[in-house]
Amino acid sequence: MIRFGPYILKTLWRHRTRTLLTVSGAAVALFVYSFVGAVQEGLNRLASDQSHHRTLIVFQANRFCPSTSKLPEDYARKIEQMPGVAGAVPIKVYMNNCRASLDVVVFNGLPAEKLKATRQLDLSEGDWSTFEKQRDGIVVGQAVALRRKLKVGQKFSIGALTTSIAGIFTSPIPSEQNMIYAHLEFLQRIKGLNSVGTCTQVEVALTADANSDAVCRAIDERFRGGPISTDTRTRGVFQARAVGDLIELVGFVRLLGLACVALVLALVSTTTLMGVQDRIREHAILQTVGCTPARIFSFVIAESLIVCLVGGGFGIGAAMCALQFSGLALGTEGILIAFLPSLALAATGLAIAAGVGVVAGLAPAWQAANAEIVPALRTA
Amino acid sequence: MLVVDVDHVTKQFTKGEHTITPLRDTTFQMERGDFVSLMGASGSGKSTLLNLVAGIDRPTTGRITVAGQEITGLSRSRLARWRAEHVGYIFQTHNLVPVLTAYENIELPLLLLPLSRSERRRRVDVTLEAVGLADRADHYPRQLSGGQEQRVGIARAIVANPTVVVADEPTGDLDGETTGQILDLLQRLNTELGMTLLMVTHDLHAASVASRRYRLEQGQLIARESAVVAGSLT
Ligand SMILES: Nc1ncnc2c1ncn2[C@@H]1O[C@H](COP(=O)(O)OP(=O)(O)OP(=O)(O)O)[C@@H](O)[C@H]1O
Ligand SMILES: [Mg+2]
Repeated sequence: MIRFGPYILKTLWRHRTRTLLTVSGAAVALFVYSFVGAVQEGLNRLASDQSHHRTLIVFQANRFCPSTSKLPEDYARKIEQMPGVAGAVPIKVYMNNCRASLDVVVFNGLPAEKLKATRQLDLSEGDWSTFEKQRDGIVVGQAVALRRKLKVGQKFSIGALTTSIAGIFTSPIPSEQNMIYAHLEFLQRIKGLNSVGTCTQVEVALTADANSDAVCRAIDERFRGGPISTDTRTRGVFQARAVGDLIELVGFVRLLGLACVALVLALVSTTTLMGVQDRIREHAILQTVGCTPARIFSFVIAESLIVCLVGGGFGIGAAMCALQFSGLALGTEGILIAFLPSLALAATGLAIAAGVGVVAGLAPAWQAANAEIVPALRTA
Repeated sequence: MLVVDVDHVTKQFTKGEHTITPLRDTTFQMERGDFVSLMGASGSGKSTLLNLVAGIDRPTTGRITVAGQEITGLSRSRLARWRAEHVGYIFQTHNLVPVLTAYENIELPLLLLPLSRSERRRRVDVTLEAVGLADRADHYPRQLSGGQEQRVGIARAIVANPTVVVADEPTGDLDGETTGQILDLLQRLNTELGMTLLMVTHDLHAASVASRRYRLEQGQLIARESAVVAGSLT
């Protein structure tokens, strides 16, 4: 089979325009497929993070968007003293867009000492002491920095907010890389928000033996009838609710991705069939020379496989680069879903490309392999 | 030694209600080293007989044994493998795969045999030399003249040293001078290399280079003596 490699490649090259068009079709489809796959992976990652079941989020009851939830800051101190609670951090969330958006910028304001204690942030540029000294200091996740081209020492303004970039951090948690952290007090004092002494939510760490449901109930019970009642859930449940609409949407987009793949199947199949029909006599000559039907079959399969793998390879490669270097994230209600390239994604993509290549070649290959020699020789 | 044994073969084509029987109970044999020419009216079944001997078509009834192998009962795959080893086929025109060079076209049959790269190269080079095209190895079919293309076709048919070489009007598309060259080449293959050749032709002159001459009439082979002596051509 390898011996016939040059023949197969030259065959593809013979109709290079047609081949290249088909290859680019396959590339586009697998680009889309991989990109959509990354979105899906991001969602799955969010859902599967086990730490999300051991952290609680306390929100104002009956509020859904971070910009409308407002809890007294001292709730955090009160919660911290409750049984089963290891720690509680008041967080002020500020963002440029509450709805689902691809360019959402989310600020989380925490007391500086709590920030370092509760988040695994690794400063790749800048330093903590600058952050701590600057009232308007922020540390920026690498993905946001990449997307918005942010550098340490710059001012960064968005909406009513103007901040100083004190550091850029990386985090092992992909969605964190899209986050911006600021001082709690600074975000509380944003003009027009009227939120001094309040926070958006309280993040609660449980003790090892605590029952999360019981603590949730206890917290909500504690503040019922108080000035502001609360709604407490594990971070996992909280996020699932926030991204609930997206899950359906992404599932639908995923279908579109599959539709793209199906389209490529039809495209490659058609092109390969055209190639086979152009070469009826040539295949008859090959058979006369002694190629078995199985060999002819494998030639045609190899053709469509190569087209799909080359096109798919380019598309997947481009998607991986785009994912790596764009720092894209989908944000909704303050929750961020990072899109990242992954080996698994690339491998699945290639496997799909290979599968499509083989399936697309089946009908043309069958036709070529089963052509009767003598009538085929009579065709010009 | 008997190389081709066509034994009471009938071939029918059915088209709708029409049945054509170009070969009716035909019997025909060739010895090793024979050069047989086959003439006959258009539509008399010459190509049909040639295709049966070459194992690219099957008889309706009867048995065909070539190179000691009864080929009538072989599966498509076994038949293909058998062809790779035992048959060289020269077409009237468009013998070659257009995307492959002369060298690669000639190498094709060798790719199907268990031969090393260097052995393949050696054989192709020898064959190119034999057909006088050593300097055209890297040319594509479209860069060759009709006669050169036909010589590459012949080279491909003989390169694997098959038991029998069949040619269907190999000079049918060529001018007089080129025809002479090709016939000369075929005759040398027969006399110098001892190749067994079966050639269909419309051309008396061409038929005369063969050592045995037949006419196909009403499905029957009739041996005929030619007025032209083989040697007088050259
Ligand atoms: N696949 C086929 N289906 C139907 N009829 C066929 C088929 N192949 C050949 N025939 C018929 O069989 C007869 C013999 O055909 P064949 O090609 O063997 O003739 P031939 O002697 O080679 O003629 P020519 O000298 O014109 O090449 C013809 O009448 C032809 O029409
Ligand atoms: Mg004929």
